Amino acid sequence: MSHKENTTGRLRLVADGVSHGFDGDSVLEDVSLTVDPGDVLAIVGPSGTGKTTLLRLLALFSRPDDGRVALAEGESVDTVSTELTPDHVADARTNGHGDVGARTNGGGGDGDARDAWSLSDDERLRLRRRIGLVAQDRSLFSASVGYNAAYGLGVRRSRAARLRSSLRRTVGRWSPPAAALSALETVGMAEMVDKHADSLSSGEAQRVGVARALAVDPDVLLLDEPTSNLDPRNTAVIEDAMREAKARGIGVALATHDMDQARRVADKTAVVLGGTCIEYGPTERVFESPRDDRARQFVAGELVY
Amino acid sequence: MISAFGDLNLNYLVSVTFVSLYVSTVAVAISTLISLPVSIGVAFGNFPGKRLLTTVINTGMGFPSVVVGLVVLLTLSNAGPLGELQLLFTPQAMIISQTILATPVVLSVSISAVESVGGDLRDAAFAAGGTNTDVGLLVLREARYGIVTAVLAGYGRAISEVGSVLIVGGNIVYPPEQTSFTRTLTTAVTVEARRGNYETGLALGAVLLVLVLVVNALGGRIRDGGRA
Repeated sequence: MSHKENTTGRLRLVADGVSHGFDGDSVLEDVSLTVDPGDVLAIVGPSGTGKTTLLRLLALFSRPDDGRVALAEGESVDTVSTELTPDHVADARTNGHGDVGARTNGGGGDGDARDAWSLSDDERLRLRRRIGLVAQDRSLFSASVGYNAAYGLGVRRSRAARLRSSLRRTVGRWSPPAAALSALETVGMAEMVDKHADSLSSGEAQRVGVARALAVDPDVLLLDEPTSNLDPRNTAVIEDAMREAKARGIGVALATHDMDQARRVADKTAVVLGGTCIEYGPTERVFESPRDDRARQFVAGELVY
Repeated sequence: MISAFGDLNLNYLVSVTFVSLYVSTVAVAISTLISLPVSIGVAFGNFPGKRLLTTVINTGMGFPSVVVGLVVLLTLSNAGPLGELQLLFTPQAMIISQTILATPVVLSVSISAVESVGGDLRDAAFAAGGTNTDVGLLVLREARYGIVTAVLAGYGRAISEVGSVLIVGGNIVYPPEQTSFTRTLTTAVTVEARRGNYETGLALGAVLLVLVLVVNALGGRIRDGGRA
């Protein structure tokens, strides 16, 4: 299962009792899960069930209506036991709430986790920069592959360094930093570094999107149905990139409606249906002996709406 | 043509051209600096009165330049609120009126360019760790072709405009060399036309056309160069 050699210093991402809605319509209700370092979590569920909303909340795009999203150091309770019980969730909840305002660093050093939305904007930006999100749809900037892969590195640099980079690009003397190239290498796109992003196929574009997120060496990589429109070869490349990320100690959360993919790559699986997480545990357990009846039907490929 | 130019003092031609270029370039530069951040705010902001503001900006594209000139004249005249600045009948006054005329054009075209940048790209910039400023800069970068078009449209409005610069600039040339102080190519044409020097007027018009052509060619190069 989980290999934990390279997870030192990596943060885990915790969602705790997260609820969210739009214009009064509830989309997510009381979802709790953890993305552990060096672990792949599959979030499975039919389209329109709130997976994208959940990932956006995990990526700290917006504040959940209720519950908390936090990044914390240290092993999570549920990886140690590999089984999640309601007690652990309750533990996490009391820890988090009791801690609000008590510390100034983002995330505790001893396994507790402060609500990212109780932090200052700067602290939250620092946490946000430990998380990479790859959207489902093509979202490359109208520029070279190299520019796209280096974008996240660029925004983390000083104003002066960025100005130098754009001057270099203007006179054609810019080349992407090594981290961007090696991320492109991971998804097999290093040779296309000078190509314009608009000329890529959807599979290639998605791979560059993954490289853009990986280049900054995030602690958590969130992938929103990254292979839903891709052919088997591109799918395999992206799944390999997930394994590579996992091997580097990055925690990966993958929203997918492809059950086989979840079984192939995920250590843990959460089944989200109608905005609630009805099943959450080790992938094998979730698929072999789901406790919830609708989860059993869903992973068996039956329609549950 | 050659005889038409022959009537013109070279110093006169050069100084008139320079005033035209100087006033319009500074005015459009100011318009652009105002328009870029405002276009981001208007395109992506959600605030009451947004529709009204957009309507006002679009109406501004059709501001009659003589009316703008008159309002600037009254504002800058000795009895006006900004009379103390003593700017009336200076190139600065012309810059003010041309900025007022060019800004709605630059702004309006910029807003549509910025609005056309998809939310998915803004999200991607944010997800890659960008701050709101980074996202704004990325959007401007994505909208760069449209923004160059906006700047060119604003420049076209400014450099070809005659009504307001005539009113607030005063169409002044200094003797003995006929050096322009506030005379532009457009106001020079009106002078020649009134004198019946149609050939000279046409020659000045030709210079103006060439200038506009060169500016647009440069803009086109910038736009296409960014495509690489």
